[in-house]
Amino acid sequence: MSEFVQICVGGVVVGSIYALIALGFSLVYRVTGAINLSQGGFSVLAALIGYTFSQTWGWPLLAAMPAAVFATVLIGIVLGYGTFVPAIERLSNSSVLMLTVGLLTMIEGFALVTWGSQPFALPPFSGEQPIVIGPIRVPTQAFWVLGAAAVVIVGLWYLVSRTRLGRGLRACAENPSAANLMGIDVPRMTLFSFGLATLIAAIAGVIVAPTTTLQFNTGSLFTISGFIAAVIGGISSFPGAIVGGIFLGLATQLATAYLSSLFSSAIALVVLLVVLVWRPTGLIQSKVTRRQDIRAEVRVSTHLVRMPSNVAWIAVPLALLLAIAVPFVVTDNGILSGIVIAGILFIALLGLDVLMGYAGQVSLGQAGFMAIGGYTSGYLAINYDISPVLGIIAGIALSVACALVLSVVTLRLRGLYLALATLAFGLLIDSFAVGLIDITGGPSGLVGIPPFSVAGFEFATPRAMYYVVLGINVLLLVALTGALRSGFGRALKAIRTDQMAAAALGVDVVRYKLVAFAISATLASLAGSMYAFFFNFLSPEMVGTSRSLELVAMLVIGGEGTLVGAISGSVLITLLPTIFQPFAIYKTLVTGGLLVLSFLYLPQGLYGAAVQFFVRYGGSRRKFLAPNPVPSKRAR
Amino acid sequence: MTRDVDRQESVAPVLAVRNLDKAFGGVRAISDVSFEVTDSQVTALIGPNGAGKTTVFNLITNIFPCDAGKINFLGQNLTRLSAVRIAELGLIRTFQSARVFPGMTVLENVLVGRHRLMKNHGLTQMLWLPASGVEEHRLRARAEEALDLVGLSRFRNAHATDLPMGAQKLLEVVRALMAGPRLLCLDEPAAGLNDAETQELAALLRAIRALGIPLLVVEHNMSLVMNVADRIVVLDAGAVIASGSPKEIQDNDRVIEAYLGQDADAVA
Repeated sequence: MSEFVQICVGGVVVGSIYALIALGFSLVYRVTGAINLSQGGFSVLAALIGYTFSQTWGWPLLAAMPAAVFATVLIGIVLGYGTFVPAIERLSNSSVLMLTVGLLTMIEGFALVTWGSQPFALPPFSGEQPIVIGPIRVPTQAFWVLGAAAVVIVGLWYLVSRTRLGRGLRACAENPSAANLMGIDVPRMTLFSFGLATLIAAIAGVIVAPTTTLQFNTGSLFTISGFIAAVIGGISSFPGAIVGGIFLGLATQLATAYLSSLFSSAIALVVLLVVLVWRPTGLIQSKVTRRQDIRAEVRVSTHLVRMPSNVAWIAVPLALLLAIAVPFVVTDNGILSGIVIAGILFIALLGLDVLMGYAGQVSLGQAGFMAIGGYTSGYLAINYDISPVLGIIAGIALSVACALVLSVVTLRLRGLYLALATLAFGLLIDSFAVGLIDITGGPSGLVGIPPFSVAGFEFATPRAMYYVVLGINVLLLVALTGALRSGFGRALKAIRTDQMAAAALGVDVVRYKLVAFAISATLASLAGSMYAFFFNFLSPEMVGTSRSLELVAMLVIGGEGTLVGAISGSVLITLLPTIFQPFAIYKTLVTGGLLVLSFLYLPQGLYGAAVQFFVRYGGSRRKFLAPNPVPSKRAR
Repeated sequence: MTRDVDRQESVAPVLAVRNLDKAFGGVRAISDVSFEVTDSQVTALIGPNGAGKTTVFNLITNIFPCDAGKINFLGQNLTRLSAVRIAELGLIRTFQSARVFPGMTVLENVLVGRHRLMKNHGLTQMLWLPASGVEEHRLRARAEEALDLVGLSRFRNAHATDLPMGAQKLLEVVRALMAGPRLLCLDEPAAGLNDAETQELAALLRAIRALGIPLLVVEHNMSLVMNVADRIVVLDAGAVIASGSPKEIQDNDRVIEAYLGQDADAVA
């Protein structure tokens, strides 16, 4: 019994941290309607800055921690002012979500560059000696956590419901346009909410640091746990965030203690999926439901990127010739391998573009399908000597089955919730990859996967593999271009921008979403298999959540909804660290930074910018990019 | 004349709405609404603001479910069908705020309209089969023709949302026409149009009727309604208060009362 109580106390402590991060989510969501996934990054940043202040510079803990919180909030405000506030004004909510993924990646990259990849632990604020209450031992830090959580909750409640500033925040939450007309400075409120959320996250970070070890990438874990807590509780409700956080903390701690620590995250995710399906609005309904923002419709992607057909007739054969010539020009095996990897990832990116760029469904879990494909074909090849092609087909079958189950589960979810469900799916697969040691080899990976072969002919060298991947990509491009330039593509694009209007014209929204999802799962699975065959090895982190996020970044940087555009993102992010070896540590930081920058300044991606450049300066007389000489009177 | 009317009565209506009811919370938005749309006619649904016209539309196309009543379209009961199924049956609607698809050209918008009647789908398009190419080619020719009809063909490669409101409204009607409607429902097609554009719209509506496509139009613009409609159904406060030819409606006391109001004590 005392053991149970002990675990529950631990659960409440962990849950308080989740609750704090969840509060940040709710706050930003209520004020802006967007999800800020960078939340957990700031927690870790604050803790690491606190570590430097206290351990490296020798400041006393009680001075170092507030200073670290202050520094983090400053960084948060600068980042918020430069990225989040302008993004809220011009991007759709799902783009803002991905932009904050970029911020999170950037913060993690910054932490990696500054603090390296080793874990850090801070000493507890008031000594190691736990407080003993009867048979239960409670570490002193637990009181700090609970106290801080209580102070933050009361403070936030007072601020929002009792002050003039809070009224402004609530007005923005109710109706931003009307708030603006009433003289409330909405961008300032956006920034304020972002800064406040950063403050909460930073407090959570420094206060939790002594109870756990932190690494540069612990931030995504915090973000995800906090976000799950927010969704379980009800994303727009403050009490919901607290209830959700504590519930999640208790559930994971109890699961770890009585079932298995390997599957504790799996249990959190299952709880999440159940809540999402059973009550998509969360356990606690907020009294103020956020209104459907009119801007949300206006801000959906409205640019047109079309390669002029006369340019395409020259560009396509030229590109193909160039692609065929690459292995003759690039003799360095390392760089050629990098190119092959970029090509393999491009397979997955094609699928992601169909899903995200055309159908407008955000997926943050594509690497989950890569994992299914890679592990299935690898496992079958190693243990049953099944040929790679059959293994690939088996992987695809399993992936599509999972995709269909997932979409049946998530069919009612839209936009942000769908992004969340796919993220949860990716994490679930990730935890299986780590946990099912007999099949996947666990954290150390699946070793001894044979190279790709067809009918006994092995493609073992990078050069041979290059041509295989090139062939697959060309076939896929031809097939997808065929479908996307005709009815199929139009139906997807219609769904992306206006589901109701699409349905009113008889476009079967559900069916097309399912098909797009299945295509993306198929191609991700294929990419995962090829990846495993190319490396002869597969480990969970090669196809983990960071890979999913990287795929999104590549797609956005390259250009969504352009099909070929993603190759530039893929090559850029894969090759830069290979070519500039000493700077490889900057990869995460640069990936995140590029993602943020392209959302803000290059919404049509590198490819779109290139096409625009061609159209403007390339001597093409016809205007393809949305001409606007539209007189009000029609000529007849 | 009488014989003509008799003949119409005997033909089954395209759309028959019977005893429709809908409440939002405690507010009864629609109560006991019944009307019919007859073949090859323009039926207008009019009424003061808040009378429930658009709600009737949304109930017909099942954007919200109705609480009670029957909606019969060409012998099919629509009340349990999804918006997509209803469109597949040939009941095509437009929206009050022109909902053209952003991120697509004017021509592509029109092409989406044809979607439900396309024979070649994903797979044949992926394989570049000649059949799908031929269909696509024909479709484009047809779409350009349709754009020509309303004078929008010059803008076929323009970004649809860059068009002025009036042109977007016309585009939406053309897109709906491409879907081969067996009944076309237009929700305030003249809202946001200037006088010249409204006249062109009237011409377009008559042309659609001449094609034999029955129309159900929710409209505020009285001169348009009186000009184009064959039959008018007047809604007030969620109930049908009158229906008949434009002439009959113009002379109907209750309609005048609903629009112009009356002294409070005179209302019995």
